[in-house]
Amino acid sequence: MSNKKYWQSVEELKGNAVLEGLKQKEFVEKLPTDVFLGDKETLEASSTTRRDFLKYVGFSTAVASLASCEGPIRKAIPYVVKPDVNTVGIADWYASTIANGFDYANVLVKTREGRPIQIMPNKEANGTTNARIQASVLSLYDEHLRLKEPTKEGKKITWSSADSEIIAKLKTLQAANKPVVLLTGTIISPSAKKIISQLITAYPNIQHISYDAVSESATADAMKAVYGKRGLPNYDFSKAKVIASIGADFLGDWQGGYAKSYTASRIPEEGKMSYHVQLESNMSLTGANADRRIGLKPSEQVSALISLYNEITGASIATKPTVAEKEIQALASALKKAGSKAVVVTGLNDVNAQRIALEINKALNSEVIDIKKLSYVRQGNDAQVAQLQADLKSGAISGLITYNVNPLYTLANATDFAEGIKKLDLSVALSVENDETANAMQYALPVSHFLESWGDAMPTEGNFGLTQPTIKPLFNTRQAEDTFLKWSGDTTNYYDFLKSFWNDEILEGTSWNKVLQDGFYTKASGSPMTVDLSETNSEESAVSISEAASALLNNKKGNAYELQLYTSTAIGDGKLANNPWLQELPDPITRVTWDNYLAVSMADAEKLGFSNPVQDNGAINGNYANVTVNGVTLKNVPVIVQPGQANGSVGLALGYGRKQGLKEAMQVGVNAYPVYFGGNNVQYNVSIEKVAGWHHFACPQVQSTVAGRTEIIREVSLHDLHHEDPQESWNAKFKPSYDHKEVAAEKVDLWDGFNREIGHHFNLSIDLSTCTGCGACVIACHAENNVPVVGKKEVRVGRDMHWLRIDRYYSSKVETREEAKKMGLSGGDYFDVLENPAENPTVVFQPMMCQHCNHAPCETVCPVAATSHGRQGQNQMAYNRCVGTRYCANNCPYRVRRFNWFNYAQNKEFDFNMNDDYGRMVLNPDVVVRSRGVMEKCSMCIQMTQATILKAKKEGRAVKTDEFQTACSSACTTGAMVFGDINNKEDKVTKLKEDKRAYHVLESVATQPNVVYQVKVNNTHKA
Amino acid sequence: MSHYEAPIREPLVIGEKSYHDITEDIARPIEGKANKNWYMAFYIALAAMLWGFGCIFYTVGIGIGVWGLNKNIGWAWDITNFVWWVGIGHAGTLISAVLLLFRQKWRMAINRSAEAMTIFAVFQAGLFPIIHMGRPWNGYWVLPIPNQFGSLWVNFNSPLLWDVFAISTYLSVSLVFWWTGLLPDFAMIRDRATKPFQKKIYSLLSFGWSGRAKDWQRFEEVSLVLAGLATPLVLSVHTIVSMDFATSINPGWHSTIFPPYFVAGAIFSGFAMVQTLLGIMRKVTHLEDYITRLHIEYMNMVIILTGGIVAVAYATEFFIAWYTGSPYENYTYMSVGAATGPYGWAFWSLILFNILIPQLLWIKKIRRSFIWSFIISIAINIGMWFERFDIIAIVLSKGHLPSTWWRFEPTFVDVGIFIGTIGFFFVLFLLYARTFPVIAQAEVKTIMKSSGEHYKKLREQGIHGENH
Repeated sequence: MSNKKYWQSVEELKGNAVLEGLKQKEFVEKLPTDVFLGDKETLEASSTTRRDFLKYVGFSTAVASLASCEGPIRKAIPYVVKPDVNTVGIADWYASTIANGFDYANVLVKTREGRPIQIMPNKEANGTTNARIQASVLSLYDEHLRLKEPTKEGKKITWSSADSEIIAKLKTLQAANKPVVLLTGTIISPSAKKIISQLITAYPNIQHISYDAVSESATADAMKAVYGKRGLPNYDFSKAKVIASIGADFLGDWQGGYAKSYTASRIPEEGKMSYHVQLESNMSLTGANADRRIGLKPSEQVSALISLYNEITGASIATKPTVAEKEIQALASALKKAGSKAVVVTGLNDVNAQRIALEINKALNSEVIDIKKLSYVRQGNDAQVAQLQADLKSGAISGLITYNVNPLYTLANATDFAEGIKKLDLSVALSVENDETANAMQYALPVSHFLESWGDAMPTEGNFGLTQPTIKPLFNTRQAEDTFLKWSGDTTNYYDFLKSFWNDEILEGTSWNKVLQDGFYTKASGSPMTVDLSETNSEESAVSISEAASALLNNKKGNAYELQLYTSTAIGDGKLANNPWLQELPDPITRVTWDNYLAVSMADAEKLGFSNPVQDNGAINGNYANVTVNGVTLKNVPVIVQPGQANGSVGLALGYGRKQGLKEAMQVGVNAYPVYFGGNNVQYNVSIEKVAGWHHFACPQVQSTVAGRTEIIREVSLHDLHHEDPQESWNAKFKPSYDHKEVAAEKVDLWDGFNREIGHHFNLSIDLSTCTGCGACVIACHAENNVPVVGKKEVRVGRDMHWLRIDRYYSSKVETREEAKKMGLSGGDYFDVLENPAENPTVVFQPMMCQHCNHAPCETVCPVAATSHGRQGQNQMAYNRCVGTRYCANNCPYRVRRFNWFNYAQNKEFDFNMNDDYGRMVLNPDVVVRSRGVMEKCSMCIQMTQATILKAKKEGRAVKTDEFQTACSSACTTGAMVFGDINNKEDKVTKLKEDKRAYHVLESVATQPNVVYQVKVNNTHKA
Repeated sequence: MSHYEAPIREPLVIGEKSYHDITEDIARPIEGKANKNWYMAFYIALAAMLWGFGCIFYTVGIGIGVWGLNKNIGWAWDITNFVWWVGIGHAGTLISAVLLLFRQKWRMAINRSAEAMTIFAVFQAGLFPIIHMGRPWNGYWVLPIPNQFGSLWVNFNSPLLWDVFAISTYLSVSLVFWWTGLLPDFAMIRDRATKPFQKKIYSLLSFGWSGRAKDWQRFEEVSLVLAGLATPLVLSVHTIVSMDFATSINPGWHSTIFPPYFVAGAIFSGFAMVQTLLGIMRKVTHLEDYITRLHIEYMNMVIILTGGIVAVAYATEFFIAWYTGSPYENYTYMSVGAATGPYGWAFWSLILFNILIPQLLWIKKIRRSFIWSFIISIAINIGMWFERFDIIAIVLSKGHLPSTWWRFEPTFVDVGIFIGTIGFFFVLFLLYARTFPVIAQAEVKTIMKSSGEHYKKLREQGIHGENH
């Protein structure tokens, strides 16, 4: 190292003290902190002032926070490779079949962008849909209840390990020859039957038992006894002239329902309107539609049935007289007179009763009943199910496989069954839903929804339907058929199996593709479904009719109440209890939503102290009752006082009170299955006890009569229809006085209307005669128009959102003020009589939706012109323009406008289908989901009429006759609703509008509606 | 300037008052400190107002569903309150405009407060059409203003739109009229004010009033012109409000007698409210000498007249509903059906409060009694609220189709908003009573010599006033 010293200046070299001092300081001068810490003048002089700094900070903070506040972006991602079959914005329709063990129908499934969003009847296949079938599309998206993964003891498991474990278990059990039971709901699929028989071949220790939650076993047993073949007789009511139904709700769910063929016999114009007498205890849909309804409790129904048998066959079996002996005699003579055009059906699920009915029809030589081409829609066998329960209890069986049944909910003594399951070596549930049974079994295997499945069906002999998937399975599910194939060692998948099965056994050379497209096939002869229709259980045939009759009469002991169990229009057997559309569908008779209830007659209600007082918020309350049957007590059953309920009987709907897996809002009602002993819908010796408390009902309609406003509902007897001038008597048009002359209402006008003969002019005709009140249209409207579900609490306070409702009116003791005066009533007294229903009233259903008035009162009062008239007759609602004054709703005489009191979509307070991602998949993209604060109402499905017009335009043609449809008119099974263009002379609706039965509701208000009603015809003039 | 008045007539100003005494009396509440009672009343009103505002925010935040309305009853308390408040707002203009044209001197003691009441009541009324909307943030769509929505325009057929025009016109004309009258009085306060802030404020408020003869001449002219403009408004506002109902098709609403009947009812209720307010105010602000038995009696006479018109209208409605024989008229708010139905209590409340109780005013002693007038005025206020409630709720509860019959039950929000508007009204009125000259002192001074007790006595004693 050198010793050289480097220096910068002489001062440094010399060691100047000043310099030393400077070296120690970093800055030569004191820092000018006051410049930016407060000295104002210097501050303003500097280029970046404190103010600027704060401005920059403020700005950048604001920008940063604004950027983070950006609204959520929803990207619409186009297809990279567009599927051939799928055009965005264009709906595809697939023919399919629903057969879930309770409901059967040939249907068309509407899909949009690959999502099924609506189900409609396949009218070419004579398909019919009820409310449940319409609503079943929503259950596909039921993320809450559906079983999503195979599980073992509640833990997730793969399909392959589930399969191998179960197969190993089955093999062990087979080797030990321990019996295994396969318990399924009614299977009407011939291919599935074949697969099950293969499974049984592979494991002969498996026994297949069919079980219907709601049994029709007695009828099948009676058929076996009388005709030697197990199955249900098939009825063609369209051939009937006289129909006597003893408690058979054949417009409801009785043996699958016969609404379509019944209404075919009810067309008054062609002079062949049937005469229908209903003897029943509960007021059923069928009773409500009957020409004459007689309230008889079940024990009296038995007597009536035997009386009819005596009268018709000339036998003289001992019976007890009923309250309506004369009427029964008259009915018997009417039946005899009609001969082969008459039919007697009974809903008593009792072999003896069914046998007597079959014998009566035999004696009548009835053409209506078909005992050759049987119906297989209910195959459950009560005897076998009872045996299974006994075996399970005693431990006689070792394995149980359930498919499409939920015995732990639907069996009367489900706890015994649950105990039995615990003892089993193998228990497997194949189920769509994560229900009670799926939870109790070792293995729970998710089954695909029918909209995700292949399948076939043979509901009646020789009639076939095909099911095809309309969406890829949403969850890790597999069809039961595939599972059974795998277990039986067959490696083909179910689709291939189905196709070859159909080609081999059904199609007789017809193209598979064509049948798949049609969705149905009718075979001339032969049936592949011979597997287990001819079963055991035939000893009873030896019993004579008189013994059967006395056995029937002996069922009842004492004078206790009699309970008639039934399935409600909305919920049925309870399979779809987690479906909010159905829970909110009002019962057609009582108009109750979100509940089942004990129906008690007016006289009994007075005796027991029951009432349904109307509350200040408009809703009704009901008392609670404890109902005890055979020692089992149903606690706190809410009570509805039901006009027309037979004295001494009470009614209660099955299918409610389900809990497991259901959303809390859907866990409503009381489970009646615990008293459904032996699958018998009639339970004698019932005691009823009033208990404290009030139940809160949710009914969208509270007033049940027309209160003297007879103009609203018009009725005529069949005789008067043909023999009286409608203008003079039963359908007099309102004629205001104008220039001192009586003129038609539409001639009186303040201003000149525009010419409505140009372009299309839509009208909807509703026939009150053929509308059975089934409610399919209501659900169809929900699905088509994204109508929100609001829940029980909101329905209770009168805020249901139904665009289409079915008003139900009971008759009162007298119908007008004048008649009431004749009775000697005065003042407020006649209001009471007019406002309250008669003890056994007649019932009218009136579907009510926006009437699309040509002189719409709603249109003139809206301050912002949010509702206005379209050139095609529709009253249109511009949601975006609506500010929500509700003036239009107040000024609507039909009260069909519905206000969005809250946000119903994506609102936790309304946890229904619009509040989860799966549930929203069912929304129709053609119809906007309304926000809160706007008014909405029936649009006459303008999106559908526009689509029809555009389609015709694209295809370069005129719109075809009757091509226009609305959701309600296409869902209507009975043809009561007819939609069309009155500017097309060929359209059906054009003729209906001019029909002598046509009338407008509230004609005197002169709203000139585009919805026209047809006067209800009653065949009170006995045949 | 004042004309001669017969000595037999009761004086309108009591006591030995000089012009300066009047000034002192009127300025006292403004210049002095508020007493405990005022503060108590103010805080109660403020609390009610804040509660009401809370309910309004809740409604706007959650949805109209927090009210008790339903699919069949689209209006209830909201429009009831609206019509009630508009009706109350009717007396002010009648007193100041119509009575001015008819040269009724007794109006001078009460017109200021009556007009204040009108304006504050119209504020309350104006709230309801806005908050009753499902989407009040789009409420400006009811204004015919150029917009970015293409050719969208308001619907001139809709009575609700007429309401918008009628109410806003009424409010602006009333406000201008009121202010015009206030100018000399504000100037008086200004001239007396000692604190600079107050002086500044009252200078601004008095618009530079100087008290020159030209000022007074213009003042008189403008008052007359505005009175002429306001007089038709007295008739038009409630006529148009009644058309909300009368032009609709609901049985019970669709009635051609509604416009005159509603106008009479509005004056009826407006005078009742003036009675209520003045009954309190004359005590609290010690204005007994200015608001006398005679004033009370005159107002009661108007109440008897308008109440009679209303009673005849009820009778007509009841008769016609029965006489038509139409089953749709069976349940209108004036019908047997209503009297015996679930809203019978509301029906009978209306009859009791609006028809029966006011009949007591035929008795002179009651008519001239402060306390009885006060009680009866409260009854009429209640009765008139029930009238609107009955018209709206009973009629909507029994629509054309019996399947749509329903009932209405208010929620706490309905009640809260109503109470809130009452609170808001009193907050405004109490503030007004502390800051505004509550009696048109300039005008009262003009009748001192003709109608003041002191001068009357002097005249009787033969000592003539300076004009003689």
